[in-house]
Amino acid sequence: MQIYLPIAEMSLNALMLLGLGGMVGFLSGMFGVGGGFLMTPLLIFIGVPPAVAVGTEANQVVAASVSGALAHWRRGNVDIRMGVVLMIGGFIGSTLGVSLFTFLREIGQIDFVIAVSYVLFLGIVGVLMVVESVRAWFRSRNPSAPRRKLHYHTWLHGLPFKMRFRRSKLYISALLPLGIGVFVGILAAIMGVGGGFVMVPAMIYLLGMPTSVVVGTSLFQIVFVTANVTFLQSVNNQTVDIVLAMLLVIGSVIGAQIGARVGSRLRGEEVRIALGLIVLAVCARVAWTLVATPDDLFSLGIGGAH
Amino acid sequence: MLAPMLLLSKRFARWGVIFGVLGVPAPASSQSIVTDLSTREVAISTGFTGAELLLFGATEGFGDIVVTVEGPKRDEIIRRKERVAGIWVNGTSVTFENAPAYYRTAASKPLSEIAAPEVLEKLQIGSSRIDLSTRSSRGAEAILEFREAFIRSKKRQALYSEDISDIKITRGRLFRSTIPFPVNVPIGTYEVTVHLFKDGRLVSSEKTPLTVQKVGLEAKIYDFAHDHAAWYGLIAIAIALVAGWLAGVIFRRA
Repeated sequence: MQIYLPIAEMSLNALMLLGLGGMVGFLSGMFGVGGGFLMTPLLIFIGVPPAVAVGTEANQVVAASVSGALAHWRRGNVDIRMGVVLMIGGFIGSTLGVSLFTFLREIGQIDFVIAVSYVLFLGIVGVLMVVESVRAWFRSRNPSAPRRKLHYHTWLHGLPFKMRFRRSKLYISALLPLGIGVFVGILAAIMGVGGGFVMVPAMIYLLGMPTSVVVGTSLFQIVFVTANVTFLQSVNNQTVDIVLAMLLVIGSVIGAQIGARVGSRLRGEEVRIALGLIVLAVCARVAWTLVATPDDLFSLGIGGAH
Repeated sequence: MLAPMLLLSKRFARWGVIFGVLGVPAPASSQSIVTDLSTREVAISTGFTGAELLLFGATEGFGDIVVTVEGPKRDEIIRRKERVAGIWVNGTSVTFENAPAYYRTAASKPLSEIAAPEVLEKLQIGSSRIDLSTRSSRGAEAILEFREAFIRSKKRQALYSEDISDIKITRGRLFRSTIPFPVNVPIGTYEVTVHLFKDGRLVSSEKTPLTVQKVGLEAKIYDFAHDHAAWYGLIAIAIALVAGWLAGVIFRRA
């Protein structure tokens, strides 16, 4: 069943898109991640223009994170103060990011920057995940090993504008979460992701937040930041395809529920190793597009003035 | 035969009148071809996977038919990838101004057998002869390379096609040709021109306009996204919020 996507200006099989959404939703439900970092490259692989893939994915992540954010909100797992500071940073970052995106699109380098960002971040996060979970896996088999300290005090904790975050039991400089927010916002705009895969480790290791509030707070921030990206991409670049987003959303919400049920029966470390390997596989695939000699060195840019 | 007569009628105006009365045919009659398309409008709707149009018509007497289809004109950028530290990056680019977004030529015989290259050049018939102007300051050789790459890329997207000679003329008068439009066909106004050649000379041309447009929901979404971008963004967010919330509610009960 072919369906014409009005913004992507191409025809794709609707069932395939639902399936793609379902598959990524399944993985994101199982691993508790947004899935944007898998969906955007997959959309590009099936021929969706990278700019449209990124803009549309931001819209899909809004839908994917809102039910999780609400669930955590009800359970009181959101540090609202922290969430708001991260969100302000996220707004600044994503606004900068979309402007950068528009500029890169005009000079014809956006596809390249998207690909490089993916290789870089998926590579780093994938390696860290695998290493960390392999270590944890060994630790779990050898419980006598000493536990690590919750967090380390570094120069980062000496920054000004200290704020008290009661829910996280922290008294740290507001510049820290603000900076993380800005950084994640830029990533969200350029890569079409929620950025949870960068933000969650940053909140745990850099800020030292308790794990109980990390996921809820990051989802809270992601909803607002991806909404901002959706809005700005629509206004600046007209690259958000509602039809494509809806098909992906329907597939992914169903997939996520099934994935969450399957995931709860698996062991944490093993799940993280598997996710790390998937992340590295996607990274390798994107890297290949950068180094492989293209069939034709020339390519048509998007039409300038009509 | 016609040329000396014209000369004659110019010299001897009075004689010309008489010639006219006697029924000497006027040169290059516009009535020598009649054509029509199976539709004047290609509609892009939900199930659109491309379209094929039928062009048909009749000529007065024998001759060769050349059909050109030219899409809306716009600036097109062609970029060349260069290898930087092992990675392929877009490097130099050339912008062709007012390049047709779609171009197709079909004829009843190979173009080279229909008219001399100079004639085709003047009429810009054939994808290698279309007018692609650029303000780029690069050398003629480099521009030529970009030009060829541009046409090659367009062909890969099925927006330009090789000069085809598949038009059949039946009983020396009736002809038909199909015009395919791929799914990525650019929207806008197209011009279908039918040329009639006799003995290597253009005898007559007939132009028929054609529009390619999005219709129905697709058109509404596309127009809304471009004309009311801020509202479009807000609606996209609202839909996503409701869909996500709804999914949470449904599955919590399940």
